[in-house]
Amino acid sequence: MKKSICHLPLKLLHNAVIARSATTKQSRKKFLDSAVKPRNDGSRLLRCARNDGLIKFLILFLFSFLFIPISVQAANVVNVYNWSGYIPEKVLQLFTKQTGITVNYSTFDSNQELYAKLKASPNAGYDVIVPSANFVTKMRDQHMLQPLDKSKIPNLKNLNPWLMNRSFDPHNRYSIPYLWGTTAIIINTKYYPHVDITSWQQLWNKKFRDQLLLLNSAREVFAVALKSLGYSLNDTNPQHLRQAYQKLIKLLPNIKLFNGEASQTIFMDEDAMIGIILNGDAYLAQQQNPNLRYIFPREGVNIWIDNIAIPKNAPHLKNAYRFINFLLQPKIAKMIALDMHYSSPNLAAIRLMPKNIRDNHILYPTKAELKHSEFQRDVGAANHLYQHYWALLKING
Amino acid sequence: MNSDRLFTRFAIGINAAWLTLFALVPIILILIVSFLKPDPNFFVLMHFSPRSYLTLINPIYLKVFARSLLLALITAGCCLCIGYPFAFILAQLKTRFKPLLLLLVIIPFWTSSLLRSYAMVILLEAHGILNSFLLRWHIISQPLHLLYTNTAVLIGLVYCLLPFMILPLYANIEKLDLRLIEAARDLGASHLQAFGKVIIPLTLPGIISGTVLVLLPAMTLFYIPDLLGGAKSLLLGNLIQMQFLYTGNWPQGSAVSIALTVLMSLLLLLYLRLIPKAQRSQPL
Repeated sequence: MKKSICHLPLKLLHNAVIARSATTKQSRKKFLDSAVKPRNDGSRLLRCARNDGLIKFLILFLFSFLFIPISVQAANVVNVYNWSGYIPEKVLQLFTKQTGITVNYSTFDSNQELYAKLKASPNAGYDVIVPSANFVTKMRDQHMLQPLDKSKIPNLKNLNPWLMNRSFDPHNRYSIPYLWGTTAIIINTKYYPHVDITSWQQLWNKKFRDQLLLLNSAREVFAVALKSLGYSLNDTNPQHLRQAYQKLIKLLPNIKLFNGEASQTIFMDEDAMIGIILNGDAYLAQQQNPNLRYIFPREGVNIWIDNIAIPKNAPHLKNAYRFINFLLQPKIAKMIALDMHYSSPNLAAIRLMPKNIRDNHILYPTKAELKHSEFQRDVGAANHLYQHYWALLKING
Repeated sequence: MNSDRLFTRFAIGINAAWLTLFALVPIILILIVSFLKPDPNFFVLMHFSPRSYLTLINPIYLKVFARSLLLALITAGCCLCIGYPFAFILAQLKTRFKPLLLLLVIIPFWTSSLLRSYAMVILLEAHGILNSFLLRWHIISQPLHLLYTNTAVLIGLVYCLLPFMILPLYANIEKLDLRLIEAARDLGASHLQAFGKVIIPLTLPGIISGTVLVLLPAMTLFYIPDLLGGAKSLLLGNLIQMQFLYTGNWPQGSAVSIALTVLMSLLLLLYLRLIPKAQRSQPL
């Protein structure tokens, strides 16, 4: 961060953020020092204040904080903007320990949030961001990302070639995979012992009335309908989208809820018995509730990739590359994948994992299981149609 | 005293500046945006267009408005049915615990309502507290699947908004002159007649202010239907959020917000009209 003038309360806040995110001892100490100091000054001043004007004095005193400019030391930092809870704290600490670079870690909850933030303030100061594949395309097309200098990321060689050079970002010019996964069907075999699910089509079965959990995302839900109709889940044909919408209207009586963030617990606690789920959540839910089964339907599933990218105007480019290369180290990538319970794109990291994880079909499916599966891509102008039908669906719900 | 005047000006000035900066300016911005054209890449185009307001008449939007209003009305009805007897009994109590009982009504406000909604999830879920209790005492044999139903939404809304109904009712009923009821009974009115012809009209201001206070938030507490109802049906709050974050249609989102603000102002206006000035001075 450049040497800048900032107000005292802001500095306290800033330090609090650092102390929370990258809890190094020094930054914590700095935080405590700066937090304690004004309080001491305050109590000394308070004793001087006359009793009758105490309240007035207090108010004026508090406001005076707003106008004390103090300078913040220029620091060696990297500003990372990632999904909330999408990196182990330990990885950030290790990076700071090895390089002396402080990580300012901020989080978002959806690609849309990330996009809106960067669009509204292109100089927000982020150095590393983690958009999903479709948003890589979208942001690339709007010149919000900068091309990556591969020579600064030697650890790129560790990555799975199957996940590289995909159509959402040819030659990985702007992005490299961080974690990937699938979205498929989960079913509770205790409640449905004799149901053998092999196709998306079976979700429309009347016996699942008011039972389904679908993800709260337009693309994921439309993927179910498009796939069952035999279309691509990246379809942009308005006619096909209309058909998919009509098909989903017929699915409404079976839908119990839309949920993205808590689906793991909901299946684990048996508040829903069947639905669609991200593989990482399915893995965790199954660890707690062995009745759950994760199924790849024969029409193919949605493969998603979250990618590391550098936004235009990133202020700490050198640190950004060091951070990215650090994330691709086998040991670090392994730590991330094991902690987040998603699939690692890092082959060297997978080799370091315990056998039961490497052989787990939820996390590392076979080629046969992924037959007909597709990578989710940006649908460009058709995105508007997806959102339009999605809103219509919710209104009808 | 000079310093006192200075302080008064300072205090008022700070408040006015704060409200201008963080309430008035954003509302004006929303109003301006609602009259612009949407643009998927740059949020808005600087062209005047009333289209966002014309789309509001679209049956789709009317349906969401109607659904939000219906849910709010049912919630207000339930709150009234539960809150009225409670407020009545509380107001008539002659015990030194009365302030304590009133405090108990207010205590839930000390915790964020979002947090309390998450707590409701734990209460209502299939392996939750309510179900384990009912199963333990053999009242049911299969867990009730309450969570993610309309019942759960209603329970959540009524729970969250009940104090808003009780407090104005209590303030009103406490002032009720019990001798009027005695007089009605002496003149031959039955219990039911006394209630319908004396008590209800006299406590009407409380009923109306309580209802308005419940109606307004019930229209917009979108996280309760999201958390407890499973995000299945769109309410006004969700509609606005969706327009801004997902569809990228800021003018439309702004227009819905403005429409909601106007609707609420109308409800408040109705409240001011229905209740005579003299009765309005109760602490709300």
